[in-house]
Amino acid sequence: MARKTYRTSETVDFIVVGSGAAGGIVARELARAGNSVVVMEQGPRLASHEFEHDELKYRFLSGITNDPATSPQSFRSDPAQKAAPVAGRNPLTYAKVVGGSSSHFNANFWRLHEIDFIERSRLGAIAGADLVDWPITYAELEPYYTKVEWEVGVSGLAGASPFDPPRSKPYPMPPLPVKASGVLFERGARKLGLHPFPAPMAINSVEYKGRSPCIQCGLCGGFACEVEAKGSSVWTVIPEAEATGKCEVRANAYVFRIGMNKAGRATGVHYFDRDKKEQFQKARAVVVCANGSETPRLLLNSATGSFAQGLANSSGAVGKYLMFNKGGSAAARFDKPLNEYKGANVTRIMHDYYDSDPKRGFYGGGGFDARSGGPLTWGQSVPKGTPSWGPGFKEYLESYTYWMTVAGHGTSLAVETNRVDIDPELKDTWGVPAMRVTYKDHPDDISHANWQVERAVEIMDAAGASQIVPGEVGNTSGGVHLLGTCRMGNDPRTSVVDKYHRSHDVKNLFLCDGSSMVTSGRGQPTQTIEALAFRAGEFIAKFARANEI
Amino acid sequence: MELPTASRRKFLVAIANLGSTGWIAMNWPQIAYAAQHGGHSDANDAPPTRLNTLSPAEAADIEAIAGQIVPSGKTPGAKEARVIYFIDNALGSFFGAQLPSFRQGMAEFQGRFAKAHGGKPFAAASDAMQIAWLHDVDRTPFFMAVRRLTVLGLIALPKYGGNSDYAGWNLLGVENNHSWMPPFGFYDTDYPGFEPYPGTKPYTA
Repeated sequence: MARKTYRTSETVDFIVVGSGAAGGIVARELARAGNSVVVMEQGPRLASHEFEHDELKYRFLSGITNDPATSPQSFRSDPAQKAAPVAGRNPLTYAKVVGGSSSHFNANFWRLHEIDFIERSRLGAIAGADLVDWPITYAELEPYYTKVEWEVGVSGLAGASPFDPPRSKPYPMPPLPVKASGVLFERGARKLGLHPFPAPMAINSVEYKGRSPCIQCGLCGGFACEVEAKGSSVWTVIPEAEATGKCEVRANAYVFRIGMNKAGRATGVHYFDRDKKEQFQKARAVVVCANGSETPRLLLNSATGSFAQGLANSSGAVGKYLMFNKGGSAAARFDKPLNEYKGANVTRIMHDYYDSDPKRGFYGGGGFDARSGGPLTWGQSVPKGTPSWGPGFKEYLESYTYWMTVAGHGTSLAVETNRVDIDPELKDTWGVPAMRVTYKDHPDDISHANWQVERAVEIMDAAGASQIVPGEVGNTSGGVHLLGTCRMGNDPRTSVVDKYHRSHDVKNLFLCDGSSMVTSGRGQPTQTIEALAFRAGEFIAKFARANEI
Repeated sequence: MELPTASRRKFLVAIANLGSTGWIAMNWPQIAYAAQHGGHSDANDAPPTRLNTLSPAEAADIEAIAGQIVPSGKTPGAKEARVIYFIDNALGSFFGAQLPSFRQGMAEFQGRFAKAHGGKPFAAASDAMQIAWLHDVDRTPFFMAVRRLTVLGLIALPKYGGNSDYAGWNLLGVENNHSWMPPFGFYDTDYPGFEPYPGTKPYTA
């Protein structure tokens, strides 16, 4: 079937900016409800066989991620400093292809727990942070978590963790086969009285919805899946959106400004096409799902006379409260080969330390998993005391298959001065003002990460590791979990979107992605972003039917 | 269908054991295509065989430094992995922006070594002299750059120039296959299965 296309002069019902974890789902839900939809994706559309087993390309050369050479960003840790352009890898990294970052994620699909939505009520205010409750509860989001698991496809074992939040259905697929790292992690954690369990992953363990089971190639994080076993939007919801005959996915379409009329309504989007020629697509409403870095940048770059501080920014919160998922880890060497380069990245996780415990003296909680890096990434650094060149270094290289990592994934507090805004000088190759990132860890995030390092060391010691290398907790200078920059809330004075993802200021402008998140959760945000997207898509479609957009 | 390399023959077996027969039959052409074009194709993307960026004298010194970072011996080192071809290729293309500062660092390195050794180039010095000199300079940005490039060249795909005949992967113990089946390593071989915790009731669809 030929894919549907729309002319720019046609007024479509919805433009969805971004084709990733959220954008693909919102587009499918709106198109299935009968709306005409154009999805704008700044990157290209690649076929599955075009993704390669090439660690250099994807981890070192911005193969499918935002490239600092063409899309630069600046960074500073102190708002009083002048931000400096960053070379090598952008502070805020995301995949720039149809499917967005769902194309290259590791596919760890953890639900948030009930506590994530009500921490301010439970814990009170935290000095130096803006911890607030979500405007929705876990119970309200639960049906959509289940929808993600069944519509996108998640493998796992329901009820295995004593700490699991309530769920209405089991996972549709059994867990992936355990790896050596999972076995050792489980061994060590159980010895300590902890409760590791099979990792829920958006990777097919069996054939599911016409897509392949995982071939255990070992290249998940940073790579896209050439057999389509990973639950990336480009293989899951986007083809379903297109199958409605109502949805066009327009690749190489870089939206740089939202069009507005004098009545304060969005009229469409200005974008550069593949030839860098400026275009304008008309629409009744716009949904921005461009990720936690590009969504606030687009709003701030869309400032007009009546929205001088940026679109939908009467609260001043657009771009503020940037969060990642701070964590601490430990690497460990064992006596026999683990061969961690084989198999899906993560097979066991643990949530015993999920909740924040005031007895520790700081805020923070998280989960742990067993994982490893690809050989090229692993070989770049050596543990303290190991020679970085010469025969000793060569011996270390020969030990690659004997290593694994226990990684803690935790909370980052929302801090008003941690933010994305517009650099006053830097521009990208299209001439669009670049983003400036300001970030400094809250002291509790550092304390919690160090605490996680200690727990990771304990687990590997209990597992019988012959050498343990505690991770070093440094100052965060960027990340891939891009959260909180257009937070949802009931109060238009302190939040950007309401609980249905409608911007408080512009009736026909909706925002849904990691930017909507109010707290960071514990390390793995994508399933929450997708649950929010299913929920947003459902409500926005209702609003459209009721002529309320 | 016979595939041209051992890795792809194994891939065929692995994929056949993983999926349902119907799915494989229906999707085999796409899977085979992905395997052949998914970065594991020995026939495509032939590695560079000439030095295009560095002069012979520069290349000789860089190769000598790389050879001390990952020395030859019972197993292949950086020289046998032809890391110099990766470095030359990288500095002439995707890391081209680094070439001016790299050349500046190299000129300083070469100049100082020659001055201290009566004009002798680094590549012509004995192993002992090279190692002693590198211990003095192994915190300089230039040495760090060569080290980084050496490790990248050792492990990146052979199409980029290094990791010749997968010498780097062999050193690390990484087998050249497109896919795998469990057990993957020693410790998961006899895993008895997940044992539920008291009070929990795991359930499946």
